[in-house]
Amino acid sequence: MTPQSLLQLTSQKCTTGCPILDRLLYGGIPCDSITEIVAESGSGKTQICLQLSLHAQLPVSHGGLAASSLYLHTEFPFPFRRLHQLCLSFRSSNAHHFPVNDNPCDRIFVQSVHTADHLLEIMSKTDPFIENSKNQVPVRLIVIDSIAALFRSDFDNTPVELKRRSSLFFKISSKLKALAKRFNLAVLVTNQVVDLVGPNEGINGLRIGNLVCLHTSGRRVCPALGLAWANCVNSRLFLSRNEEVIREENEKSNGQSCDFVKKKMRKLYVVFAPHLPESSCEFEITREGLFGVER
Amino acid sequence: MEIWRLPISASQRGKLISSGYTSLSSLSSISSSDLARELKVSESEAMNILKVASHSRGSETSNASCSIVEGAQSAWDMLHDEESLMHITTSSADLDNILGGGIHCKEVTEIGWSSLSLIVNSVLKYKLTTAFSSESIIFMLIGGVPGIGKTQLGIQIAVNVQIPNDFGGLGGKAIYIDTEGSFMVERAFQIAEACIEDMSEYNRFLRKDFQECKIKMLPQDILENIFYFRICSYTEQIALINYLDKFLSEHKDVKVIVVDSVTFHFRQDFDDMALRTRVLSGMALKLMNLAKRFSLAVVLLNQVTTKHTEASFQLALALGDSWSHTCTNRIVLYWNGNERYAYIDKSPSLRSASAAYSVTARGIRNSSSSCKRIKMM
Repeated sequence: MTPQSLLQLTSQKCTTGCPILDRLLYGGIPCDSITEIVAESGSGKTQICLQLSLHAQLPVSHGGLAASSLYLHTEFPFPFRRLHQLCLSFRSSNAHHFPVNDNPCDRIFVQSVHTADHLLEIMSKTDPFIENSKNQVPVRLIVIDSIAALFRSDFDNTPVELKRRSSLFFKISSKLKALAKRFNLAVLVTNQVVDLVGPNEGINGLRIGNLVCLHTSGRRVCPALGLAWANCVNSRLFLSRNEEVIREENEKSNGQSCDFVKKKMRKLYVVFAPHLPESSCEFEITREGLFGVER
Repeated sequence: MEIWRLPISASQRGKLISSGYTSLSSLSSISSSDLARELKVSESEAMNILKVASHSRGSETSNASCSIVEGAQSAWDMLHDEESLMHITTSSADLDNILGGGIHCKEVTEIGWSSLSLIVNSVLKYKLTTAFSSESIIFMLIGGVPGIGKTQLGIQIAVNVQIPNDFGGLGGKAIYIDTEGSFMVERAFQIAEACIEDMSEYNRFLRKDFQECKIKMLPQDILENIFYFRICSYTEQIALINYLDKFLSEHKDVKVIVVDSVTFHFRQDFDDMALRTRVLSGMALKLMNLAKRFSLAVVLLNQVTTKHTEASFQLALALGDSWSHTCTNRIVLYWNGNERYAYIDKSPSLRSASAAYSVTARGIRNSSSSCKRIKMM
């Protein structure tokens, strides 16, 4: 056993496709590390995952990993149409990197996952799969969208079951980290949120990370899967969405109620990360993808 | 009693004991002619006995204290050693204060780097001596929720241990065992850079006292002195800790071992929980022995889990009570409002106290809030 030389250990990052987000993340999603994105449905988790899978194919000089990706999805159906749409805009803005008849979607390997045990099974087969991929375009990104869906229904709420669930977390995380280290992969995992109700939320009210509390759609939430899973990831990002009133329109002269113009305000927060300070930025989702907004 | 172990004849042994010579120390200051007279044996025989006795005492000459039980030290010697101990400073003055100056090289604790005032404090307070004894080192657990700053603390310690002697540091190297993949080189570089900047500022501040203290260190040098091991399973973890014996005998300048985190790989399904307890206590014992033999500090970062009591939940260090109790020093990191706090949960030598700290771009520093107070329990 010899120690690794820190001077030769560079943490490579995969660009998100947006320079503002990249700046927030100090380059992008890091390799040899598990990054978790927590958000409620419709906040943009899958958008980021798809976008990252495409941008991982960019050459290293442009922030990518020159790699293909393995996309494990647990919610159905897989958004093929949206991927295709993103792919078109990706191709048009990065045409010089790819040959004419090339389809970046060819380098995204999609696999559906049904249960936690199924995931473990898949991961044992992933080793040879990634090994073989080295011959063509190596796999350097694994996306799991979402991890929460695998655990929400299978386990009762008894201490014994919860303990069994916890050890599965550590088993999965351990395997993912071993894969990440062996092949220098970036791992992106998405997670859902649960509502916090009432003043005594118990363990869910425990503060983890930079934010006292996570707010989205006007509700207080916390990431699903609890403290145990929080110990399994290296970095956690939170996407929030809220409706904000921009201005009033059609104000009537007698002061009666009028129409409000609402806008979806989306923000990305760094909840915890070993290399990032507490920070956040606004972003928007367009046809071309997910991009940060500078105000 | 060591007399029993001396390779002398039974009759000689019997004569020694009946004459009142029951320990090796009692033979240290007597001449051979006196001994011959006392034991009623020939002078050559007495000389032989003395030679054998001094031979078996040989390995302890460096410590000079005579002891009845091998390896023991008188309390006075221990106090003397404690006072001349080197400390690894944390970067937070408040943390250092509750820790009696910083992390002892005998005890493992968590600590960060201090601000300029703390560097000055630690230099003026403690003798700039490199003498510290080879007494047993107790290791310390540091536990906290994700995002509280355990890894930051670990990196800070690995950087701080390298502060040269001239600045009140240990000038040693560090072993960093990363079990989770949380160690980011760029962050370590950032912290190392800030540490060197602090030292330069201190140098400028005290220029009249330290003439030759030029900061020739570069962040790259600091990174080079951190021996980084990445392990991916509990078997690798055990194997590495077993291997450290050999590694440390080849790298005697290592002064701290940081394990981040010691719990991660043990939280999977162990079919046999008794096996897990055995493995864990074996590992703890090995680490304690390493600390003792090589005079270094051992810092173990621990995850936390929930303990379900009747009404609600309680946070507890992961891996169970028996694991927590193997470590005589424990620090818990927690959130108090918007501040990060470190609380000495248990220590044989320090009072229970808590202090605030913060994680900044430069590493661990004093908490910036003006109403921070060290709370003694």
